Amino acid sequence: MSFYRVTIACAFAVLAVYALLILSLFYFLDISAVWEALSSRRVLFSVEISLVAATLATFFALALAIPAAYALSRHEFRGREAVDTILEFPVIVSPAALGAIILVFFSNPVGAWIQEHTLQFVFAFAGIVLAQFIAVLGIAVRFLKSAFDQVPSRYEMVARALGASPLRAFITISLPLARRGLLASGVLTWAKALGEFGATIMVAGTMAMRTETLPIAIYMRLASADVKGTVALILVLLAIGLSALYVGKLLFRERNV
Amino acid sequence: MLKLNRVCAQAGAFQLKNITLEVSEGENHVLLGPSGAGKSTLLEVIIGLRPLTEGQVLFRGEDISHLPAEKRGMGYLPQRLDLFPHLTVRDNILYGPRSRRLRPSDYEPVVTALIEATGIGGLLDRRPDTLSGGERQRVALVRALAARPPLLLLDEPFSALNESLRHELWHLLKNLQKEYGFAVLMITHDLTEGFFIGDRVSVLIDGEIRQTGDRETVWRGPATLPVAEYLGIRNLFPGEVVKNTGETVLVNCPALGGEILANRRPGIAEPTLGQTVHLGIRAEFVALRNKDHPPKADELVLHGEFTGITVAGTDVTLLFQPGGSDAVLEIAVNRRLLRRFGIRVGYPVTVGLARRDLLLFTG
Repeated sequence: MSFYRVTIACAFAVLAVYALLILSLFYFLDISAVWEALSSRRVLFSVEISLVAATLATFFALALAIPAAYALSRHEFRGREAVDTILEFPVIVSPAALGAIILVFFSNPVGAWIQEHTLQFVFAFAGIVLAQFIAVLGIAVRFLKSAFDQVPSRYEMVARALGASPLRAFITISLPLARRGLLASGVLTWAKALGEFGATIMVAGTMAMRTETLPIAIYMRLASADVKGTVALILVLLAIGLSALYVGKLLFRERNV
Repeated sequence: MLKLNRVCAQAGAFQLKNITLEVSEGENHVLLGPSGAGKSTLLEVIIGLRPLTEGQVLFRGEDISHLPAEKRGMGYLPQRLDLFPHLTVRDNILYGPRSRRLRPSDYEPVVTALIEATGIGGLLDRRPDTLSGGERQRVALVRALAARPPLLLLDEPFSALNESLRHELWHLLKNLQKEYGFAVLMITHDLTEGFFIGDRVSVLIDGEIRQTGDRETVWRGPATLPVAEYLGIRNLFPGEVVKNTGETVLVNCPALGGEILANRRPGIAEPTLGQTVHLGIRAEFVALRNKDHPPKADELVLHGEFTGITVAGTDVTLLFQPGGSDAVLEIAVNRRLLRRFGIRVGYPVTVGLARRDLLLFTG
């Protein structure tokens, strides 16, 4: 078998692994359980806070990540390597450990002061947003840097030579030229935030109708041995997540045309 | 208008060294140099896209050495044109005036006139990726001039075009320059382009300006051997100084058959007796002579034969070997002459080298 065919076979093997897992869900699929889940106030609340929290976390992450990614893509500066390395921190420490680190932070005097004088994060909605924000920030910067890397910096140089300030060159040239990459990065970041579980459960807990996001609801259903309910919620999460990823993929594809 | 005083800059391991250069109001100045000589780096320093490490850049009397690019007010036409792909031709053209916050009444008449002069009126709503090479050049030229910069910097913008389009754009540039009076500093490695556009020419080799002067002076009298080699003089032969009278130098040049009297050019270092020097002559200045024709005054006559003929398009180069010498001289002729004289390899021939065309290189 030629190397070319082996690589294609590997690509299909990747598809098979995930497709098999998704298909196995249908063994326990119970339409009435799905309908019951979709009409349950508790589940709808979970869907709602999952969408709102993921959107807010993505918004805050992008607000910080876009300029940071631009700096990493365009400039050499002292400490650049440190910034670049720390982006993988949430991946390395695992989501649960990340959540534990956030809890520890709020247990020290600085964290306690923040909670006392600003917002309550632990076991609160703000905690969900914070946990998701921290979990996706690094990966958002990584995605966005790749989007900026694909825009040749010479366009900005020409814009500067034509009289544009660095900010104007960034807004009128770099951002529009990277727009598809930025949009796709946003979608992927949002999808990752939506599926975040480990850090969220550590920081926000599992309080029904308060901090129970969709992934946490799935965990709670499974913990109570409700397999059909678990499958129904997984399918809801899957539908939302895959739709977002599909949109992101479409944007990437358009970019490459 | 633009003055560079001993400017030094760094680009990786490459260094620009003590660049001193002046461009006057309305002047066409061309910076010639081989690839890797530092031409683009120098242009980036002038436009403000690369910091200088030493020296001073003065623009209209103001020290702009550390002024950001957007505040320098120069026009810039980069090598790859870099039209913004997401903007229409119109928005590309107006990008400069808008960025500089000019009032529409200040730039609209000029932009309209430029669009008319360059014939791009029908392209204004199109995106750059739908334009032909020549159209893109014109749009980039108008974009660079839209804010009426007093100085236009060009970084080999015509190098990727075909010959006829290049000629057309050279004339367009000159016409626009005449019309609007801006000065031009253009870099190129193309000698034909450089000597057509430039009223004054500077030669940059290995990060140093080796010669500056008006077009004719530089073309006729390269100051040093590297400049001569860069300017395409391939008839260069070593010799030894036998006598120096001040105005003339007698050089023993075995390749050209013995002792030859050469004029000492102004600006050329004083040769000392016994010093190794080089004699050079442009291929265009080697004259074919009838062997029975009496030699002209101050002309060195050589007898020999053709050893090769190279035809490259309209250019024909004859290789001539003087009798009793291993040296080979290149002679540039045109196709018509080739046909008229029925020139063939092995054909005996006489050539004349006028003393005024012989170049003495002491450095």
